[in-house]
Parts: sequence; structure tokens; C-alpha cells
Amino acid sequence: MPVVASTRHVALTVNGRPRALEVAARRTLAELLREDLQLTGTKIGCNRAECGSCTVVLDGRAVFSCSVLAVEAAGRRVETVEGLAGPAGLHPLQEAFIEHDAVQCGICIPGMLMSLKALLDATTSPSEDDVRQAVGGNLCRCGTYPNTVKATLAAAAALRERAAAAR
Amino acid sequence: MTTPPPGRLLVHGEAPPPLGRDLTVIGLPLDRRDALEKVTGQAIYSSDMSLPGMLHAKILRCPHAHARIRRIDTSRAAALPGVHAVLSLENTRGWHTYWYMIAQPAFPEELAYAGQEVALVAAETVDVALAALALIEVEYEVLPAALTPREAMAPGAPRVPVLDVERPRDGNVQQPVYVRARGDVARGLAEADVVSESRFTLPTQYHVDIQTRCCIADWDGERLTIYEASQGVWNVKRELARSLGLEEDRVRVVVQNMGGGFGSKAGAQRVVHYAARLAMLAGRPVRLELTRPEEFLSHPRRYAGEVTMRLGARRDGTLTAIDAEIVLDIGSGSLYAGRYTMTLHQISELYRCANVRVRVVAVYTNTGPTGPQRGVLDPIATFSTEAAVDDLAARLHMDPLALRMKNYAEDFQGLDDTTPPLPYTSKHLDACLAAVADAVGWAERDRLAADATGPKRRGVGIAAYCIERGGYAPFSAKADVVARPDGSVEVQAGVVEIGGGQITILPMIAAEELGLPAERVDIRHGDTDGTHYAPSSHASRITSEVGPAVLQAAATVRARLFELVAPRLEVSPLDLVAAGERIHVRGVPERGVSFRAACALMPGPEIRATGSRAPNPDDVIFRLFGAHGALVEVDVETGELRVLRIVCAHDIGRPINPKLVESQQHGGAVMGLGYGLYEEAELDAKTGVLLTPDVHQYRVPTALETPAIEARNVESEDAFYPYSAKPVGEAPLVGVMPAVRNALRHALGFGIDALPLTPARILDAIAARKGADAR
Repeated sequence: MPVVASTRHVALTVNGRPRALEVAARRTLAELLREDLQLTGTKIGCNRAECGSCTVVLDGRAVFSCSVLAVEAAGRRVETVEGLAGPAGLHPLQEAFIEHDAVQCGICIPGMLMSLKALLDATTSPSEDDVRQAVGGNLCRCGTYPNTVKATLAAAAALRERAAAAR
Repeated sequence: MTTPPPGRLLVHGEAPPPLGRDLTVIGLPLDRRDALEKVTGQAIYSSDMSLPGMLHAKILRCPHAHARIRRIDTSRAAALPGVHAVLSLENTRGWHTYWYMIAQPAFPEELAYAGQEVALVAAETVDVALAALALIEVEYEVLPAALTPREAMAPGAPRVPVLDVERPRDGNVQQPVYVRARGDVARGLAEADVVSESRFTLPTQYHVDIQTRCCIADWDGERLTIYEASQGVWNVKRELARSLGLEEDRVRVVVQNMGGGFGSKAGAQRVVHYAARLAMLAGRPVRLELTRPEEFLSHPRRYAGEVTMRLGARRDGTLTAIDAEIVLDIGSGSLYAGRYTMTLHQISELYRCANVRVRVVAVYTNTGPTGPQRGVLDPIATFSTEAAVDDLAARLHMDPLALRMKNYAEDFQGLDDTTPPLPYTSKHLDACLAAVADAVGWAERDRLAADATGPKRRGVGIAAYCIERGGYAPFSAKADVVARPDGSVEVQAGVVEIGGGQITILPMIAAEELGLPAERVDIRHGDTDGTHYAPSSHASRITSEVGPAVLQAAATVRARLFELVAPRLEVSPLDLVAAGERIHVRGVPERGVSFRAACALMPGPEIRATGSRAPNPDDVIFRLFGAHGALVEVDVETGELRVLRIVCAHDIGRPINPKLVESQQHGGAVMGLGYGLYEEAELDAKTGVLLTPDVHQYRVPTALETPAIEARNVESEDAFYPYSAKPVGEAPLVGVMPAVRNALRHALGFGIDALPLTPARILDAIAARKGADAR
């Protein structure tokens, strides 16, 4: 028989906005985002932490949201692809992904971007190997990887320039 | 070399007049049109959609590799609160699903593989649907299974029931066995100074498209609307209409975005039929999404093959015979049943040889279905030919590249003794090989190999390919271009954007013909409403088949605008040019009107023109050529193989958008590396159950394994293609595996003849070699 789900109250911040909702105790963060908040930019490709397309940033760290329970995200900050562009426009990663054609079918791209957002939040001077490591858990069957690396290094350079200009 | 007939745009009716100016859009490295919505998470895929009142369906699958259903009872499932429809053998007798218009019994009594669909339930939630599946009672008679071609061809082997309606067969071998030959192979082998025999084992490959199949079916009592993850909206529409007995105009199929196809989603999949039937039964929309393990179990994967190649040659390297025997494992059903010509082109065309025989034995097994995957059968044929050529070169103590050039074939030699030799539309494989040799450092390959230290060995390898692409029957692609009084322009094409850049390329073509920047042209796509038939985005077809239709339609719109503008400018329409968002007198740019002003002259609400692709002519041969090179490093103690560089040179004609061409080259190479080095599925040899139905065990390449991929493409004119743009979707895969294998051969001094080249396989081969040397 269907499981009668017990629910929990979860308050969290999603892309800077406080959200509070009742969720089933076994709901994943990916399901909360996609089904409760209609933030379908986060994709589910395997639902068992193997493909990376559900990657979001949780308190500054890239995580597989299919394998984080919604209740574990209570009180924490979640960033998804929908929050990547700011009021000033696209994030340099988004601009560079377009410019360097690091997008084909696009289904893995939200996860890729969020893995790389976590990387560039930590350092704006990543090595090529750092970039490859950061998306080592993000499968792209279209094989965009060479352009992923190129785009990310370009975005890092843009962020460094931006920081230099702000000084 | 025979001169091909003059090239022409392949359209019905008159070919459009020349532009009368230089190209301004074609050849630009424009950003892809859908990139913005994809990097912002706004692109909606079928799995992101939800309709009011939508039910969720789940599938009950057969746990046995071969079984007969003795009894099935779905009554308890149907009675579960929240369940709205159930499908099984019980209520669907005589119903067929269609795949590429091939009929397949929807729920057969006898099941062919572990994972085959037995029943479905549509319910309020996924949880209820899963609970209902557990209430379905099935009594199976478990039958002996044949899991490999060897088992399936053995005397007394169990008869594999196939998914497709019955075809001619002898036991489990599809009939007729495919044989094509020219000359006399026995004589060619007898005339040879050296006969080199190689045996290769090429595994299956799973597509692992990151979006699992997901469709939503919505039936309003009159019309069926399907939101799908498919490569072809028109294929799905036609197949569903036939399956469900509906007139075609009562089926609408929509695919705005789709997350990877690579061949596996080219036709209507069984899940779409099931979702549609459930929606019609329940009277509510039904969503059916496969899990990752279900994808592995049920979707048609690449054919596996065992190949025996015998090459005969004189001492100077001149080929006297090519004899190939291919045993294909086609699982429990195969699209390409009886259509194995693809194996032929690489094997019989790449090298000049008077005596050729290719024999393809296709064998049904109690495993999942097979079907097209990026390159289809080309990888089997290419790998076998190009690995065998390197083996022969070793026997002859010849440079493998020199052996290739020694036997270079300028022209098409005829598939057999009845088809005449003909020219290719264009062929620049020699330049491709030279470019790859230069880029990979062929001349100094022994010095490159000497760079390795300790247990590491390095090697350089090269491989060529020849594949059959450039359009397929029924050659009935059509497209519309519409201009409106406000100056807006729209391409309307029934194509799906699968990541290849289809919706970027087609508006570029229309923009070029109308003298507009690309961004001024919109495209309606991925919807059977408001478009004509177009082929699926598969087999590298869209630019070469839909491209000419768009070009013709846009040129016709241009001609109509010229007719409106010409009287105002007091010139003949023939004196006008469309350029720079203006229509003006040739050579006098200031004498003209803006494109928008020209459109404002139209008497009605729109000017619409339809373009229509004509068949390929039969006096010239359409093929694609190219070469790959690889630099690899292998650790002979751990067996780890690293590909340090991949270089490629494709005979591409001229790129419409070089940025998108480069991305295809990356994608093909990465998937080829996966096939060559990492991807390995394992069936339980006793039960036939797939042991590796996930991407943890079935390893596809990541950014960590992907090497530098460099291109030295060869450009040329080929007027049989629009703006000389030859297809690039699949070719970048096929030469990768043999180039890597030949590089490993160079590194080790002997060839390994089974893929993937995993550490375990490499260590075993090294140990076996040492054992053989010791004896």
C-alpha cells in the first residue's frame, strides 16, 4: 500500500529568498525545488548521485540535490541555476558558456554551472585541473567538456577583471 | 579521379538563382539560439512539465530473459484507490506499437528479455502506481534463454521471440544473410603474398542520454497531444496515429527541448504509445518517465559485433582481397534488420581492391533491443577495417599511413559486380590523412613514443573513415519561410533541436537568402502543428535534408519581395539584391528600400513559400570522409590507458557555423572514447539480467578523462550540399576507437582486439603475450 508520508516544516533560503513549506519527510531537495517550488532548472538524470545534473549549491558547497533530503536543507542557503543571473545580468559563467558553446542539448548544464559556481566562489584563479575536478561528477553525454573548461577559465578571468575594476 | 557531375541544390522545381553577392551569415561562428534559456534554467523539457489532473504511470517488467506468461491478473491493481487505468496483455490483444513504422506487438505473451514491459498502471501518484504494480499477479513459464550469438546459433538453441512482427529467419539468424561481393575473394587471397587475419570484438554501447525518456500524453476526446523527449516529432506523430488508429491530424507532438538522443529517441518509443493509450483509457493526462535503470533495460542500444577480417596483399602493400565476416548481436529486435549496407562502405570502399566480400550474420538473442546510435554500424566497420590495416602493415613491415595511401581509392568502386563505379560528390580523404599525420606528429612517432619513462609506453595511431550520409529516402522534407508586413520572418520546420544546433542553422540559411542578420529570423520547430514533415534529427540529416528546403523557401520569399519592390525602383526583379537588411539594385546600394519597407508592400497578411527536398541523384555517390589521430600513454604495470591527444580532420565541405561544427567534433570524440576505453555492460551469464544498469558501473567519460581534441578540417566546395555544408553529426565518432587502438598497438608492439580497452583487458593481453613469447 502507498506509504502515508509524515511531513515536516522546512524553512530555507532559495536564491536569496526565504521559503517555508510543509514537505514529506522523505522528499529530496531536488523534488522540493522542482515540484514544490517549480524551479525545474535543476534536473534529475539518475536520482542516485551518479550523473550530477541535479547539482545545486548548499551553503557554498556543490551537492547532488537528489541525494540531500529536503529536511536536511532546513535553515540553509540553496542556490540553483535560476538564481545564477543577478540584477546586473548574466553570471560570467553563463556568458562564457554561451560564448564558448559549452551547451548542446543543455540538460546537464544547470548542474555543470552550479558545480562551477561553487568553484569560482572559492577561487577566481582555478587551474584547468581544478575545473575538471569540479565537474568530475557532472556527466555530459554531448561531450561539451573541452568547451566547459575553456568557458570556465574565461569566466574566472572575467571575475578577476571585475574584482580588479572594483578596487 | 572521375569528375562528378555538376553539383546542384537538391530541391524540387527550379533551383533558386544565385545570391549575387558574398555570403554574410553562412560561416559565422554565431552563438546557438537556445543557449540563453539553457544556461538560465528556463528551457523546458518534457520532464519539467505538469498538466492539470495529470496521472503518473509506471511499468511492470519481466524479470526473466525468456518467459511465457501463463496467467496475468491485474484486477487487484485496478481496484486500488487512485488507480485510473491498467494496460497489459489482458486488455490490449492485437494492439501494435510502432518504431520507425515497424510494428511490434504491444504486450506479447512470450517475452524476449529481462526488463521487457508486461503491464502498466496510471495512478494519482507515482507511489500509488508502484503499489499497484506490486498487486499484479503474473505466472511465468520460464524458458531457456540464448544470451549471445554463439548460444543462439548452437544446435537446439531456444528460439528467441522478437519484438518486431515476424521476419524471415533460420533459427535465430535473420534471413537472408547479407552478402555483398565484387570480384573474386578466393582468387584475391590466393594471389596475395601475405594474408593477415584479425578478429575483433566490438561491444554494445548504451546511449546514456542524460534526460531519461519522459512523455506526457493528453487526450481531449478528439485529439491527442504528446509532449515528448524525441528526436522527431513527425516520426512520433505518424507512428502513434497508426498504432492508435487515429487520423494523423488528430495527433500533435511537441518537443521544444530534449536532453540527448544520439539515435535512441529517433522514432516513437514504446513508452509514448503506452502513455497515449493510458491517457485515452483514463480520460486524464498521463506522465510516463523512465528511471535510469529502466533506460538501460529497455532502450535500443548499439549492435555488438564479432568481426573476422582477412586482408590479402602483395609485398609492396597492394591489396588483393578484403574478406569480412561480421556476426551481429541484434538482441531481441533491431531497426536495421536487413539493412546492413552501412557495414559495407568502410570495408569495401575505403581502399582500392578488386576482390571484396562482406558477409553479415545478424543473430537474435534474449537481450534488450538494439538500434541506431551515433554512427550506427560505422564504428564496427571502421574499427575492423582500420585495425586490420595496421595489423597488415605490421606483417608487411610497412608504415601504416603509407599502406593506406598505397591503396587509396579515388572513386566509388561499386558495392558489387552489378553496381557501376561512380564519382563521389567530393572526396578529400588524402588531405585529411595528411592533416592528421601532420598534427599528430606521424613522421616523428617513434621519437614521441620514446618520451615515455618507467612502466609507461607511448604510441601514435591513425585511422580513416568513409561513411554513408547525406540524405535518406523518402527525401520528403519540406519547410516554410514566412515574411509578414511588419518585416518579421519565420522559418517553420518540423525538426527537433537535439543539441546539434538545428534551430540555429536553419534560420541562418533563411537569413542569408534574405539579406538579414540571423537574429532577425525566428523559427517554429519541434511541433507537428504548423509545420510540414521533416525527418528526425538523426543520421546527420537536418542540414543536408531540411537545409535545402529552407534555402529554397527563403529564396522564393525573396523573389516575391523583389517583384513587389522592382516596379518602385523601376528595374527588373532580376536586377535586385537582398543584402544588409535592404533590397536594392545590384551594384547601387543606395537605390533600394529597407527589408521592412519591402515587406510593408505585401498585399496580404504574409508571404509564405514552401521548399521541398528532392532525392539524391543516382549518378553520384554521397559519402563522408575523414581521419582521426591519437597519442596515447599506457602503463604496462597497471594497464591504465590515457589518451593524451585526439586530432581529427573531417572532409566537411564548408561549415555553416564553425562553432557548432567544433562542438560536434568534441561530442563525437568523447562518445568514441567512451566506447573505446570505458563503457562496458555486463549481463549475468546465467539469468540474462543486466548487472550494470547505472552510470556508476557503466562508465561514460567525464571531463577528467577527456583529452585535448584538435581539428584540422579540410574545406572544399560541394554544391550537392547547401553552401557546401556536409553533415558532421556522427562522423566525428567513428575514427576515434581505431586511432586509439592503433596508437596502443604502436605503444605495445601488438594489437588488442576487443573493446573497451580497460586496464583489466590490457593487462590480460600483456600477460597472454608474455606467455606466448615464453612458449
